[in-house]
Amino acid sequence: MSSTLTTNKVEEFVSHIAENNLAVWNELPNIRKSGVEALKNLSFPTTKDEYWKYSRTTKITKNQYKFNQIDSANINLDEVRVAGLDTYEIVMVNGFLNTELSNLPKNDSITIKSFEECTTEELTTYFSQNLDTITNFFSALNTAYFSEGIMVIAKGVCDKPVHLIHYSEGESVISQPRNIFVTEKNSELSIIKSSINKNTNNYFYNSVNEFFIGENSHINYYVIQNYEEGMNVMSTNVATQENNSTFSAFNYTLKGDWIRNNTNVFVKGEHCESNLYGAYQPTGKEHIDNHTIMDHIMPNCESNEHYKGTVGDKATGVFNGKVFVRKDAQKINAFQSNNNILLSDDATMNSKPELEIYADDVKCSHGSTSGQLDEEAVFYLQSRGLSKESATALLISAFLGEVVEKIKIPELKEKVLEIYGME
Amino acid sequence: MISIKNLHASIDGKEILKGINLDVKAGEVHAIMGPNGSGKSTLSAVLAGNEDYEITDGSVDFMGEDLLEFSTEERARMGIFLAFQYPIEIPGVSNMNFLRTAINETRESKGEDPIAAKEFLAKVKEKSALVELDNSLLKRYVNEGFSGGEKKRNEIFQMAMLEPKLAILDETDSGLDIDALKIVSHGVNTLKTKDNATVVITHYQRLLDHIVPDFVHVLYKGKIVKSGGKELALELEEKGYDWIKEEINA
Repeated sequence: MSSTLTTNKVEEFVSHIAENNLAVWNELPNIRKSGVEALKNLSFPTTKDEYWKYSRTTKITKNQYKFNQIDSANINLDEVRVAGLDTYEIVMVNGFLNTELSNLPKNDSITIKSFEECTTEELTTYFSQNLDTITNFFSALNTAYFSEGIMVIAKGVCDKPVHLIHYSEGESVISQPRNIFVTEKNSELSIIKSSINKNTNNYFYNSVNEFFIGENSHINYYVIQNYEEGMNVMSTNVATQENNSTFSAFNYTLKGDWIRNNTNVFVKGEHCESNLYGAYQPTGKEHIDNHTIMDHIMPNCESNEHYKGTVGDKATGVFNGKVFVRKDAQKINAFQSNNNILLSDDATMNSKPELEIYADDVKCSHGSTSGQLDEEAVFYLQSRGLSKESATALLISAFLGEVVEKIKIPELKEKVLEIYGME
Repeated sequence: MISIKNLHASIDGKEILKGINLDVKAGEVHAIMGPNGSGKSTLSAVLAGNEDYEITDGSVDFMGEDLLEFSTEERARMGIFLAFQYPIEIPGVSNMNFLRTAINETRESKGEDPIAAKEFLAKVKEKSALVELDNSLLKRYVNEGFSGGEKKRNEIFQMAMLEPKLAILDETDSGLDIDALKIVSHGVNTLKTKDNATVVITHYQRLLDHIVPDFVHVLYKGKIVKSGGKELALELEEKGYDWIKEEINA
């Protein structure tokens, strides 16, 4: 009885989104169909599901959404540009690729193209390869009704980082960008993902990014989430690594009403390095959730994961990091830690580090701390003439700064320090 | 400079200071000695504005102002400096950044411009040499991984940078070997002028061989029970505190 009811709700939710005429060339109808089929067996996630225990999605699923393609005349990207840093800018407006504002290079080291330009082989090789569309409602939704996307293929050491800028605007709008990043053997790519939102209300952004890190290639993926009001953000990132590769993801969340980041790394090669870093600082009534999966399938690899956050006012932070070390994955060094500072009595932090180890010759550690700001340190700073506010700010900067310091591009680090107010 | 009258303070409902009276004039060095638990550290914490303590009675006049009305940072900006018995480690905050912020917020509160980078660096160089504080320590995070002696030298370095009117040294000698003690004392003595004052809180006379006080006070059970010249310290060293306890308890 209740399941029928849920199914009807899902059908209704999906039907509004399905009304739009989305692109269907080449292999896309088949790809979309797999998502549509998956959705038929799925219901909305609830807090009864372990994976969604601390993040209610009713805020999103109770509404109806439409895609909204707008013209780009009044769009100013300056606020997210990184001073002194030359990049290939890819601009997506409400989830649709804007070719006027974007630079799609096709040279020896990097090719960026829209899905329309991709071959059947490229699409079938990479699409949904490690994405859970069977049980994850939002991944299935994106697969069925992604708005548009690009494929970035690095063939050598890329001369400039790719700056992916998502612009969002409107009320009850859904944006479902889908992007694929491939680094071929011996290549290197840095990606910066920024967002701008203007006049958003009840906006639902549901993105999926898939990364394929080929042999001896390296990806640095920087995400800066600094949203104004009115955005609900579901961001799913799935990476697959081959031999001797590195994948480093850096996630900096400054502001956002409701954000859920799923970052999953599948290490399918030996001698790989994987780094997941994150900082978040929800305030007001914000809800910031980071879920990660670090899956060691092959031996002789290393992973480092460090997420840090401060939670203020009535905000909520969630961290769930799952590390798997599979049966054949011997000689793995996997480290994970999550540290939090609660800045008010009404702030909530749910932290759950998890380790599942099936191999016997591994070195793994995980830990989680949630505490208050060190009052003695505040007093010490005050006794030297710092106001309580600047003492607190200095201590928070020092705390989150550890993760910001990981940024390898100096200009970008400068920018992130600046928006955190840590100069 | 500072005049403490009948000061009573308690923590968690327990009275620690039970009527302190103390006058310190510019150019003077006062030593406050006493057995453990007599209230020495409480007195320094209260003067620095630690909110864990409740002032239940008395007054403190600092250069014509009612000191107890001011917050910790305001007191620091007015010229009160507390050298901590246990300096706090602050990972992630560099010594330099911390000091620059401290100096600039003090200057800003007085309507002055921030210190120029060149002037700041010159001052750092001069003052760190005074306490033989290694350059590498300046760039490190505040007190993190410092040895006991390095932490104490860092306290005196901060004092030198902030140029307080009244410096309160809380057990600065504890845990110091003789060489470190000499360096710290040399720093304190060099910073002494006719316009500032120093209150040295210590359990042992040893420090007072190097920082020679004009007055010595004995604090016991939350009160100053005996005052005298520097010879009182020597007497305490020789006889211990028992004769004073007997005098008081008699």
